[in-house]
Amino acid sequence: MIKFYNVSKIYPVDVRALNKVSLHIKPGEFVSIVGQSGTGKTTMVKALIGEERIDEGKVVVGGWDITDIKENEIPILRRQIGVIFQDFKLLPKKTLFENVAFAMQVCNGSPSKIRKIVPQVMKIVGLESKINRYPFEVSGGEQQRATIARALVHRPKILLADEPTGNLDSLNAHEIIELLLRINRFGTTVVLVTHNREIVNGLKKRVITLDNGTIISDQAVGKYIL
Amino acid sequence: MLISLLRVVKFSIQDIYRNIWLSLVTIMILILSLFTINMLLVVKVVGDTAVEAIKEKIDINLFLKTTAEENEILALKAKISNLSEVKDVTYISKTEALENFKNKHTDNPEVLEALKILGANPLSPTLVIKPRNLENFDSLINSLNAFEDQIIESRNFANYKVMLGKINSITEKVYDAGLVLSAIFIAITLLVIYNSARVTMYTHRREITIMRLVGASKKFIQMPYLLSSIIYTFIGVLIIMIVFYLFLRLLQPYLEAFFVGYNVNLINYFFDNSLKIFGTQFLVAAVINVLASYLAVRKYSKV
Ligand SMILES: Nc1ncnc2c1ncn2[C@@H]1O[C@H](COP(=O)(O)OP(=O)(O)OP(=O)(O)O)[C@@H](O)[C@H]1O
Ligand SMILES: [Mg+2]
Repeated sequence: MIKFYNVSKIYPVDVRALNKVSLHIKPGEFVSIVGQSGTGKTTMVKALIGEERIDEGKVVVGGWDITDIKENEIPILRRQIGVIFQDFKLLPKKTLFENVAFAMQVCNGSPSKIRKIVPQVMKIVGLESKINRYPFEVSGGEQQRATIARALVHRPKILLADEPTGNLDSLNAHEIIELLLRINRFGTTVVLVTHNREIVNGLKKRVITLDNGTIISDQAVGKYIL
Repeated sequence: MLISLLRVVKFSIQDIYRNIWLSLVTIMILILSLFTINMLLVVKVVGDTAVEAIKEKIDINLFLKTTAEENEILALKAKISNLSEVKDVTYISKTEALENFKNKHTDNPEVLEALKILGANPLSPTLVIKPRNLENFDSLINSLNAFEDQIIESRNFANYKVMLGKINSITEKVYDAGLVLSAIFIAITLLVIYNSARVTMYTHRREITIMRLVGASKKFIQMPYLLSSIIYTFIGVLIIMIVFYLFLRLLQPYLEAFFVGYNVNLINYFFDNSLKIFGTQFLVAAVINVLASYLAVRKYSKV
C-alpha cells in the first residue's frame, strides 16, 4: 500500500530530514512510527500526501508512483489518504457536522451524498449525538474524533495520523487509539506517528523507529525502544 | 459542476462579508481610481466642447464701404465663397447691421440717442466669413488680404488661433495631469487588491489548509477569491455610476454658466454612453483585478 525506495529529503539548507529510507507497508496494516523530535516523521507523512517533494528515491502509494506527481493530481491522491494532525484544524465557526461536511463540499460532494455520509462517519467516531455542537463546546478528544470523521469522508484506503494524541490526556488518547484500531479493522491501512511510549507498547503492532532520518528498527510486534 | 459553482459563489460572498472592512477599503480605493478615470473623461469632453464652441465663434468680418453697391458686394461675396478655405459667407447689409446694433443696445438709451442724432445709418455692410477649418486659417487670412477690391473698408482679423492654442494646451495639460493621477490611482488599486487578496488568504489560512488536506482542487480554492475581486469591481462600478451622476449634477450648473448658449450636458453624455463607458471600465478593471488577486492567491494556494 505504501512503498518507500531509498527516499531522501533534504530541506534547505542541507537538513537531511530523510536519509535513504526504504519501507513497505501492506494493505490493512497498522504501523506506528516513532522517533525523537526532528527525525523526519512528519516529513514522511508530508511526502505521502504530496505536500513535500522528495529529493531522492521513489514513493509509491497504492501502486501509484507519486514521486513526480503533477500538481493537479495531488487532490486525487489526498482524497485517497485521510490525514490527522496534532492540532485539530477544525473551523471554529462551524459545527462539527459542518466541519465534516466542509471536506465534502470543497471536493464537489453532492448535498445528498453529504447528508448520507457525514452522519455515517460521525457514528463511526461516536459523535452522532454532538454533531450540532461547535468545536469549543466539545472536549479535545471529541474534537480530534471529529477530524478523524472528516478524514474518513472520502473513504480513504490509508489513514495517516501524525501525533493525533499529542494534545490529549491519556484517557482521551486511549479512546483515539481505540478508534484508529477500529478503523483499521474495517480494512483501512493506518499509519500512526507518536511519541507515546505507553500507547506504542500497548498496541502490539508493527513499530518503525526513525533516528536522524534513517530507520534504525522495524519490528513486526514492536516496542518503543528509545 | 453546478453545485461547485454555487459553492464558489457562496464562499466568495462569505469571504467578502467576513472581511467586511477590508472589502470596504478595497471598494473605496477602487471607486477613487474609477473616479479619476471618469474625471479624465470629463476633462476631455469639456475640453472638446470648449474647442468646438470657440471654433463655432470664429468668423472673420470683412467691413465694406457704406457706399458699396449691392451688386458689387454680392460679386465679392461670390468670389470669397469660391475660396477653398471658406465654409460659408453671410452678407449683413447696412440695415441688418443697424437692426443688430439696436438689438444689442436696447438697454443702453444713450447709444440709441446718439444714433438718432446722427440721423443717417453709420454702419457698414459686412461679410461674415466662416473658415472651413482652423488648420488653414492662416492661408485664408492671406487670401483675404490679397483681395484688392476698393469696396473693402477694413479687415478685422482677430487672432483666434492663439486663443484656441491656449485652450488646447490647457486641456492637454489637465488631461496629462489626470492621466498621471489615474496611473497612480490604478497602481494603488492594484496594490490594494493584491494585498487584500493576500490578507484574505491569510485570514482563511486554516480553511485553505483544510481544503488542501482533504483534496480540494486548486481551482476550487482560488475561484472564490477571484470571484470576490470581480464582485468588488462590480460594486465599485455600480457605486461610481451613482457617485458620478451626483457629481455631474453638481457640476452641470457651472458648466452651463461657463458655456452659455452651448449645449454641454455631461449628464446626457454619460447617460447616452453609459454602457460603453462603464461597461468598458468594468471589464478592464475586472480583468486587472482578477489578475492582481490571482497573483496573490496563487502563492498561498499551492497544493
Ligand atoms: N520546511 C522545512 N524547512 C527546513 N527544515 C525543515 C522543514 N520542515 C522540517 N525541517 C527539518 O527537518 C527535520 C525533520 O523534521 P520533521 O518535522 O519531519 O520531524 P519530526 O520527526 O516530525 O519531529 P517532531 O517529532 O518534533 O514532530 C528537522 O530537523 C526539521 O527541523
Ligand atoms: Mg512531526
